[in-house]
Amino acid sequence: MKFGLFYEISVPRPWTNETEKTVYDRCLEQVKLADELGFSNVWAVEHHFLEEYSHCPAPELFLTACAMVTKNIRVGHGIIVCVPEFNHPIKIAERTAVLDILSGGRLEVGTGRSATWTELGGFCVNPDETKKTWDEIVHCLPKMWTQERYSYQGRSWSMPTRTILPKPYQKPHPPMWVAVTSPGTEIDAAERGMGSLGLTFGGFKEQEEKVKNYRRIIRNCEPVGEVVNEKVATVNFLFCHEDDAEGVKMGRRLTGSFNYLAAQLVAAREAFPSKSYPSLGLLPSLRQEAAGPGDESGAPEGVAIGNPARIVRALKQWESVGVDHVNFLLNALEAVPQEQVLKSLRLFAKEVMPQFQSRGDNAAAAAGGR
Amino acid sequence: MPPRFGCLDLNAWTKSIPVIDGYGTESWTLKGARILEVHMEIEDDPADALLPRTMHPAVPAYAIFNVASYPESPFGPFAVAEVRIAGRTGVRPRGHVLRSYVNNEAAAKEMAARWGYPVAAGDVSLVLRHDRVVGRVKAGGSTVLEIEEVDRDSIAGNDIQYIASMHLCRNKGDGKPVLVQVDPEYVFHRAERGRPRVVTLDAEAFRAREHLRVTWPIAATYATADVTLPRLRYVCNPELPALQGTSKVAA
Repeated sequence: MKFGLFYEISVPRPWTNETEKTVYDRCLEQVKLADELGFSNVWAVEHHFLEEYSHCPAPELFLTACAMVTKNIRVGHGIIVCVPEFNHPIKIAERTAVLDILSGGRLEVGTGRSATWTELGGFCVNPDETKKTWDEIVHCLPKMWTQERYSYQGRSWSMPTRTILPKPYQKPHPPMWVAVTSPGTEIDAAERGMGSLGLTFGGFKEQEEKVKNYRRIIRNCEPVGEVVNEKVATVNFLFCHEDDAEGVKMGRRLTGSFNYLAAQLVAAREAFPSKSYPSLGLLPSLRQEAAGPGDESGAPEGVAIGNPARIVRALKQWESVGVDHVNFLLNALEAVPQEQVLKSLRLFAKEVMPQFQSRGDNAAAAAGGR
Repeated sequence: MPPRFGCLDLNAWTKSIPVIDGYGTESWTLKGARILEVHMEIEDDPADALLPRTMHPAVPAYAIFNVASYPESPFGPFAVAEVRIAGRTGVRPRGHVLRSYVNNEAAAKEMAARWGYPVAAGDVSLVLRHDRVVGRVKAGGSTVLEIEEVDRDSIAGNDIQYIASMHLCRNKGDGKPVLVQVDPEYVFHRAERGRPRVVTLDAEAFRAREHLRVTWPIAATYATADVTLPRLRYVCNPELPALQGTSKVAA
């Protein structure tokens, strides 16, 4: 199992001149440490207008900065909203290629379509269309990356023959993922040979079923790209502390802050009924699970908060149902002081990572552990 | 916590609110209801003044215009037209009902006493045409609300998510203002979605004065459904954020 970071970049009010810069600086400091500790990737979302919840409309810039201060950690541009009103497909191909070059071939490309009316309405997007445009664009991207000359006449966008430049550093192209929030999207991912970038918790049983389906379907996929990226990632919260009660208490503060903010946004389905959005999407699902019934000390099932032993148990359960990447949210509303975030990362690398395969020894050594 | 909450002037607002007769009402099932609902974005900051402190404004702010016709009830057929401001109580989407116009006096009296609906008398109508559905309210001799769904298209009933309502009323028992959560259940028979239009809106008639300004269309739906007005489950102290001031009143 591999571990990564997942950034929404939450900025609490009041928004002074320095607030956003401070939060971004702290995120970069965390990423730099995570790289040293052996975390495998850092993901940054693309969100717009999501007050306090996410001030991350240009993740490619943040990830470029991450790449400049790190050596090994892979940079996950995701999800990129594959809706032309948000991002023209040519621009997606170009800027991902540049990020791949600048990061020395460390780019992962996550794709999606947005789940909130807050964003879709802001860009005057018809929610009925987003699944179709996402599908069209993910089929185009690999060709735009790999073909010297490219032209396209499609449903949601078209272009005459041009040379799209530059090309990605990784050959044939960076790994591609799909953000999985709505039920059944893991099947979309599998059918297209893309990684499943889970953005909801769901229960272990539900996840196990999804992973099984995904692995079964991807065997016979028609990949959109030149390589199949068979991987299943989920998102989680992380706060690791020697004292379990302290860890759970602070972890609950983190999950509570995140969930509260997420709830204030308007899900696409809430405002604009559409079969294109059968569930409330990322935010409410994550919220429900995180606020769901937990064990005696109040840590919800499967959430990585508490002492190392508790977190190992939670992650072993995820591993047992077939998850091979877990990406962690470290903060929301700056509810966790920066020094504690860093301490939590170090403790996780020292005590938890070695219990899992993949770079565990390096991680423990970097954290000053065994 | 984020310092953004509704800032409704409770002293002024509660001078004219219904009195709820306790929290023990039985549920009502109203079969064959026809429901027109229009969602429109509204100006954010002014609308904060229409939400009690219990609620956080939705991002972006939007209003829900709802006209519903109920052909059967214990008090005969009736229709209701109301305006709600979307917000959140804690982590749940809810709409604060500003005023509910009802065209049946007996039904209105019961709705106020049982669920705290902020009722007022009005001539409420819901008209189906082939190209649109029109909901209209006349009160005090003039049209105070006219909304439409145009370009009608079928969708599935389970695509619709009506959010629960919050009614600011006075508890008969202790005389204190209370926000009552009313979350009806729906069994859909058919549903459709179209473009929303607000043809006429007299904000004053919904106690909104200058605070309710429609800015951008979202969607309109029309549905037929069996609606159950439920037993009450939660009430909130309107002076406190929901996470601190919510009480359970039924199992």
